[in-house]
Amino acid sequence: MSVSVGKSEPRRPMPLQLKAGLAITGAIVVLSLLAPWIAPHPWDTISMRTRFLAPNATYWLGTDEYGRDVLSRLLMGGRLSLAMGISATLVSLAIGVPMGLAAGYFRGWLDEGLMRLADVMMAIPPIMLGLMVLAVTPPALWKTAVAVGFVYIPPIARLTRSVTLTLAGEDFIQAARARAESSSYILFREILPNAWPPLIVEASLRVTYAILLGSALSFLGLGAQPPSSDWGLMISEARSFLDRAPWLALAPGAAMCLLVIGINLIGDGARERLDPRLKARVGK
Amino acid sequence: MLTVEDLTIRYRTPGGEIEALTSVSFNVARGSTLALVGESGSGKSTVALAAMGILPAEARIASGRILFAGQDLMALSTEQRRDIRGARMGLVFQDPFSVLNPSLRIGEQVGEGLVHKRGLTPKAALARAIELLDEVGIRQPDVVAQAYPHQLSGGMRQRALIAGALAAEPELLILDEPTTALDVTIEAQILELLERLRAERNLTMLFISHNLGVVSRIADEAAVLYAGQIVERGATQALLSKPAHPYSKGLLAAIPRLGERKSRLASIPGRLPDLRAPPAGCRFSSRCPFAQTACDAAQSLQEVGERAVRCGRAEPLAATPWPSHDDGLATIRNAQQPSAGPVVVVQGLTKSFTIGHTPWAFEAWRPQRKPIRIAPVNRISLSIAAGEALGLVGESGSGKTTLGRTILRLINPDAGVIRIAGEDVSRLPQGGLVAMRRLAQIVFQNPDSSLNPRKTVGELLSRPLIRFGLASAGDVSARVSALLDLVRLPEHYKDRYAHQMSGGEKQRVGIALALATEPRFIVCDEPVSALDVSVQAAIINLLADLRDRLGVAYLFISHDISVVAHLCDRIAVMREGEIVEIGPVEDVILRPQHPYTRKLVAAVPRVDGVANFALSMQE
Repeated sequence: MSVSVGKSEPRRPMPLQLKAGLAITGAIVVLSLLAPWIAPHPWDTISMRTRFLAPNATYWLGTDEYGRDVLSRLLMGGRLSLAMGISATLVSLAIGVPMGLAAGYFRGWLDEGLMRLADVMMAIPPIMLGLMVLAVTPPALWKTAVAVGFVYIPPIARLTRSVTLTLAGEDFIQAARARAESSSYILFREILPNAWPPLIVEASLRVTYAILLGSALSFLGLGAQPPSSDWGLMISEARSFLDRAPWLALAPGAAMCLLVIGINLIGDGARERLDPRLKARVGK
Repeated sequence: MLTVEDLTIRYRTPGGEIEALTSVSFNVARGSTLALVGESGSGKSTVALAAMGILPAEARIASGRILFAGQDLMALSTEQRRDIRGARMGLVFQDPFSVLNPSLRIGEQVGEGLVHKRGLTPKAALARAIELLDEVGIRQPDVVAQAYPHQLSGGMRQRALIAGALAAEPELLILDEPTTALDVTIEAQILELLERLRAERNLTMLFISHNLGVVSRIADEAAVLYAGQIVERGATQALLSKPAHPYSKGLLAAIPRLGERKSRLASIPGRLPDLRAPPAGCRFSSRCPFAQTACDAAQSLQEVGERAVRCGRAEPLAATPWPSHDDGLATIRNAQQPSAGPVVVVQGLTKSFTIGHTPWAFEAWRPQRKPIRIAPVNRISLSIAAGEALGLVGESGSGKTTLGRTILRLINPDAGVIRIAGEDVSRLPQGGLVAMRRLAQIVFQNPDSSLNPRKTVGELLSRPLIRFGLASAGDVSARVSALLDLVRLPEHYKDRYAHQMSGGEKQRVGIALALATEPRFIVCDEPVSALDVSVQAAIINLLADLRDRLGVAYLFISHDISVVAHLCDRIAVMREGEIVEIGPVEDVILRPQHPYTRKLVAAVPRVDGVANFALSMQE
């Protein structure tokens, strides 16, 4: 049953999830970006007199074993965690998207080759793959980002491939071929713009996975290096004092939790907003 | 049997409330068939859903009553309605390919209603299902009952659906476009089946269709719906031969008819009014050539003799036909023709696909599987002259589309020669086809799929100009405007995206896109199948104009023989990958040689009597 609706359909109202997600994530991003200016105390100044203070009026979230302000470290750590999640996702998009486009459009042996490669990568547990990359070189934050990005290439490539497969069957691709367009034009100018909505949704969810995995690697000592204050590292350092100062682990844990929820809400909301038809396909 | 009184239904949509039906009233007498005729957006399917009580959640019945055998359906509880639905009313949907559950056997699905409504055991229901399958003309019903839907053809699935709807012996059968998805020969069989069942069982039918030929054959009475209102109602033959409402006149004038050639079809300009705020006066007035200021007043359905018409001027206009567009172009065109040599020559073209493998079997000492191949294009030879339109007809699966795309090298041929404008392009690599691609273009069936949804019309149309270097950077915009003008779209459409246009407008952009490279040959792959009758006429006229003005040659692929016979100079009939008959339109339609062509032509549903009427009015 098709009902003719006038020419310009007004945009659907923004889903509640998207609003909530944008509010949470936006707040965290803004606070993290402004960290150097709004942090109440220096994040790396050691002061033995203020060790293990419980949350109070001066130190809102308490202090750690070196007497550093947890709130300030949290804000600075947010920058690292966000940068880590976003750059890792960019790495996986930069490699995974072209891989998926090529596999889905050209099919045949190229498709088989790329997808079996992806299968092999997926067969290795992500944390092991990250460890493998990082174990051979001295740890550094950018390496962690690249390693995490590397881990998430297969899911991005697979999603891109499945969207490409559907789009490649559309007549406008045949029309482009009938204009003798080059393969790269068809892939990047005809297919890619239509593949963005599910990819954006997937990428936003990947950011949260990347933050979690990055934090896990930091926790294992392979990410941010002390005295930097990545959230994973903060939890790792707080582990020994869980009984004496639980706020040390709780604060970064809660922050990470909030960020992950916020970004996930954005992803879910964006999925509804951008393309309702793709709901079933993306939401596995 | 079924009475609908003053039914108004609104749909909630994000853009506001749409009035899908506005005080619709009709009555289907026991044992008779009423056809609801209308184009997409007219609200005809909503009537079916409302009668069955399966309206979607967004729909709201604002007013009105639906009476079934004297009972007010809306006054009944959900339970009581469920008892009536299926048991006393049956519904057959449009698309037999998606309605059957793919994981249940046919016998189970046909007998399902008997288990729920009549309390039969599954075993007894299956036995009855086999009888029903036999009754709807399925051969080997016991075997078919054990089959899954994917193992059956479209026609057999539609028969099974009808059998399922009949299982609980309903008194009323509602059919929502039951033959639209089927080939003409299958359609003829289904109509025959319905006529027989109706006679044998004294069935009452509500038949929903946009195809006036089908309606003419099956219905006693017809009601024409436009924008949610019944605009005309009356006995089918009388209505089709002497339509009183301007919209009915326009619809009838817009259908191409076999055996009656005109150079142009009549078309209905404009589009449906916005149903979020339907106009207070006549809803058709903005598209009506007879409209006057008086038409801005609300129109009521008035009885004119046996007919009910929603048009205040029906009586004074009774003898006035819909204005025709016959403008003498046909004669100009015939004078031009002889100079033309062939633009496209195809010889012995073959393309086959592997669709599966035989089971493993020993050949001498080693086990082997042989590929099963089908050849949708099998040793085809044809030629098309400049400015000529060659129609290609055939049923689904006959290889029409594959042939069209193979000629354009969108599919690589296995064997054979393709010459376009004298150049042999059958062996060139894809990279060497640029010159040919400029000269040969394609228009697709589904304009939703053929326009990139993320590009504006301006971007779409400027791409081929840039790709082939046909216009300098400063010139592109002017050329795009010229192209839009050629397909009669206003210039501001440049900024529109595909989803902001109607089906007909999208198809115009599709045609402009094909014309951008100034081709000499265009493959039109079912270009009007997805469109409504009134829009279809406008697109066919446009294609005819362009052929006459620009001398473009067409390979016009369609399953609708009437359309092909109207537009084309010659017809090729295709069946299972081979051309069984090819020749001038008049010969193929009036004196078909091949038995398959005869069968195909005979199966086309016609709006009988109307052809004579139109002729008598032209005199």
